[in-house]
Amino acid sequence: MLALIYFIILGVIAIGSAFCVLLSRHPLYGALSLVLSMLSLAGIYGLLASPFIGVVQVMVYAGAIMMLLTFVIMVLNGARDSKTPMFDRVSLFVVPAVLVLTGLVGFVLVRSPIAFDSTALRGSVKLTSETLFNVAQTGPGYFILFEVLGLLLLSSMAAAVLLAKKRLGSVDSDNAEDK
Amino acid sequence: MELQAIYVQVLALAIFAIGLIVAISRRNVFFVLMGVELALNAVNLSFVGFAKTLPADMSVAGQIVPLFSIAIAAAEACVGLAMVILIFRNRESVDADTYSNMKG
Repeated sequence: MLALIYFIILGVIAIGSAFCVLLSRHPLYGALSLVLSMLSLAGIYGLLASPFIGVVQVMVYAGAIMMLLTFVIMVLNGARDSKTPMFDRVSLFVVPAVLVLTGLVGFVLVRSPIAFDSTALRGSVKLTSETLFNVAQTGPGYFILFEVLGLLLLSSMAAAVLLAKKRLGSVDSDNAEDK
Repeated sequence: MELQAIYVQVLALAIFAIGLIVAISRRNVFFVLMGVELALNAVNLSFVGFAKTLPADMSVAGQIVPLFSIAIAAAEACVGLAMVILIFRNRESVDADTYSNMKG
């Protein structure tokens, strides 16, 4: 019963702040409501007995990714053409289409017989680490994915630096040096 | 009244729908990126919610995969924001409708 009350509170906060992302005009307010939505989702992860994913959600999503997004919004001054309309005529078709899709999926979902299994394991740090770094030959082999993920993050970091830096010797970088 | 598995899935579906609407219909390119992040969050919630409906050993995979999904989202946000910076330097606008120079 108490779990349901907590779930309803956190769910209302999550959906309400998601609506704030949809309706806010300034990107910075949108980013802050997105942080609130992610924090309440982290609470729901804790409620569903996988606290490690909740902590990773707070640290990586609400911490790192949204910090990066907020930083870029503030550096680029993303609100300076706030005179352009938020929505255009395409939205008239997009919104009903997405709502119909949601209705169809929701109809199938509500009719499906799923229920919580009481023997499901708690996603603690111990369970996660033992599964993730199980290097036994008969194990699940998640550690290979983990290594590949390191390469992916390294290459995306290098790609971001190469994309976003000013070309050396270009007019922009010469001007920057003059200043 | 206890917490049912279906409530979690309905919440994930609602957040996914809002994220999809934000990503497709907003014009500011930052909101497009935020909508993608919102939809990815909803998918992670759905993973964990379905993992809890499975018996003991089978419930582990659904709690490992969201970690990888979060790391992929970090890489996606990193490259996406770098591309936004690059395009913004050429176009001087955050309106996604002005980024149409690759249109056929």
